[in-house]
Amino acid sequence: MSVTVELSYDMSKALGERRLEMPNPGCVREVVSYVEQKFVEKGADFSLLSKVTSVAINGVLTNHRRGMKTKLEDGDVVAFVKAASGG
Amino acid sequence: MMKGYAGRVLEINLSNRTYSYEPLDEEIASLYIGGKGYGTRLLYDRTDAGIDALSPENPLIFATGPLNGSVAPQSNRFAVVCKSPLTGGIGNATCGGSFAYAMKRSGIDVVVVSGRSERPVRIEIDGKTDEIEFIDAADLWGKGTYETQSILGKKKKHAVIGPAGENRVLYAGIVSDERIAGRSGVGAVMGSKNLKAISLEGNRKLEMDDPDAFKAYTKSVRKLFADHPHLGSSMKRFGTGGIVNTTNARNILPTRNFKYGHFDDAMDISGEYMEDNELKGVKSSCIHCPVTCGRQVEVEGAGVVKGPEYETLALLGSNLEISDLKEISEWNYLADDLGMDTISLGATLSFAMELREKGMLAIDLEFGEAAGISELIRDVAHRSGIGDVLADGSKRMSERYGGSDFAMHVKGMEMSAYDPRGSYAQGVEYATTNRGGCHVQGASMYLESVGPLTINPQNLKLKADIPVVQQNLACALNSMVLCIFTSYGMIPAMVHNMNPNGLPLRALSKVMENLGPMFRMSMSMKGPPIFWWEKWMSQITGAPMSSGHIQEYGGRIFNLERIYNLREGVGADQDTLPRRMLDEPTFPGMTSGHPLDQLLPRYYKIRGWDQAGIPTQKILDKLQVRS
Repeated sequence: MSVTVELSYDMSKALGERRLEMPNPGCVREVVSYVEQKFVEKGADFSLLSKVTSVAINGVLTNHRRGMKTKLEDGDVVAFVKAASGG
Repeated sequence: MMKGYAGRVLEINLSNRTYSYEPLDEEIASLYIGGKGYGTRLLYDRTDAGIDALSPENPLIFATGPLNGSVAPQSNRFAVVCKSPLTGGIGNATCGGSFAYAMKRSGIDVVVVSGRSERPVRIEIDGKTDEIEFIDAADLWGKGTYETQSILGKKKKHAVIGPAGENRVLYAGIVSDERIAGRSGVGAVMGSKNLKAISLEGNRKLEMDDPDAFKAYTKSVRKLFADHPHLGSSMKRFGTGGIVNTTNARNILPTRNFKYGHFDDAMDISGEYMEDNELKGVKSSCIHCPVTCGRQVEVEGAGVVKGPEYETLALLGSNLEISDLKEISEWNYLADDLGMDTISLGATLSFAMELREKGMLAIDLEFGEAAGISELIRDVAHRSGIGDVLADGSKRMSERYGGSDFAMHVKGMEMSAYDPRGSYAQGVEYATTNRGGCHVQGASMYLESVGPLTINPQNLKLKADIPVVQQNLACALNSMVLCIFTSYGMIPAMVHNMNPNGLPLRALSKVMENLGPMFRMSMSMKGPPIFWWEKWMSQITGAPMSSGHIQEYGGRIFNLERIYNLREGVGADQDTLPRRMLDEPTFPGMTSGHPLDQLLPRYYKIRGWDQAGIPTQKILDKLQVRS
């Protein structure tokens, strides 16, 4: 089982890639830790970017599910998302 | 004379080239504010049911409101109202720039253009002497909106049409500076009158009830805007395109004719990407606006021009599966210059692509292929070849070629760029908004799918309540006339700065989601003004103003639009969404699409309408809406 992790624009600039495939995550918190580890490996600051992003699973914010404890399933898309306005 | 108004309506008859200045109807102004509200009342009262939208009987009404002519940030828009040739119902659009300011400075609240000129004509209004000239416009006919404005010069401000309006493309708009009154086909109505341009300038001052309070307060609002994370920061940096990555992550970015809500290459068409790679400058072409959401990009052959906004990035980008920002920028420039709404254009192109894919239309168009689109856009504006078919929009195309299930319009107007399957309140708003599938007549998605404080967009809680409150607010703002982006400042910086994954914000979201009727009741309370538009209205007009007053004004205007639509045969049967939105799931676990049938009865009830969607006499009397 694996999930696709879609990074925010700023995160993808820092890591040099837009998507990551993560094998066997149990819950959202593990995905966040996985991405944080990628930042550590690159010597980039994760906290600055993560504090302005929510996390969505298949388009639904974890805030509307079980937060960081939300369980993941095979094929889920986990996206880091910023609030925005526009039109 | 009422404070905040110039006190005059300019009546122009193009058939016999006469004009007169008439006093503003103060009863209408006191009930409907101005802008869209005032224009709708005039349209309702002056026209017979069933007129042809492209006939001389359809008046084209340009209307300002009490905030125009002031220096209040974002008070730079005018409304255009007429019967829509696209939907057959109420047509309206607002436009930024500097025309509204110039109109008010010319001592004019409203311009009503009626009749039809035999030959192409343009109108020049001298805002100092009140004289009007009808000038032959044969030399301008066929020219783009940018060239036309350039020829007309900088001494006056202009509202012009391009070839799309001249050729009555049903989604043609009216352009002023770099902005467009894009929706409803108002440009086609102007073209049907053979009217190329209106130009004016003046130097009259707006009389306010309390100018000192206005001045001091406006200074503080400018600071509030400057410090606001969206209005003062992200909108400046990324423009409206800054929302692309958000809607994509939330699975509501229209992709492949709204089949999907997610586009793998969304980042390439985002505001952030534009800032990094294409941006040539930041510019607000709207006078007195500190937000500067306008982008400048380079288009080959045209130089540095206005960049595409979110709707264009989505409808001409992801929705066509195009990720080349240079191509989208060129199409955006072309559409603006030809005078066309990019939302309807994009959704009509994607519909044509899907028809072609299903073997229902012979056209050289393919998802993901940019080749030939520039030429096709020109053909649409000139109604050449197959462009003539696309010029009538997706609804009429579906009547001709089939495919109504995936023709992405409501009431004939193409839907804008928020997929309602991931934004239920926005879906109710699309279905019920009087002018059709539009997002700026409420912007419910801000409170459920994209803003800093959102509720779960996929349950039924508040999904019928939010659209009512937001539509009423938008009706009022579009009548003042203030940019709807101002409402994005309602959620204070403090909330923006909260940890988006933290408990306090989650708790706040839960509280909001479970407010039930309290949500509407809190917005309907009459008390002291809280938001800046309420305070400005009070300082300028002297009338008491609060959120409750705004909801009342807005509800009145919305109901007037509704009974106009009913009179014109646009009934509750059209309060719906395309079948694709109702039937096809896009989220794991979904078994169908948007649950509109579960939400509409509640929406009607909140509105005070019967279950057939007809406003009851009781609610019309309560709101003082005369039918």
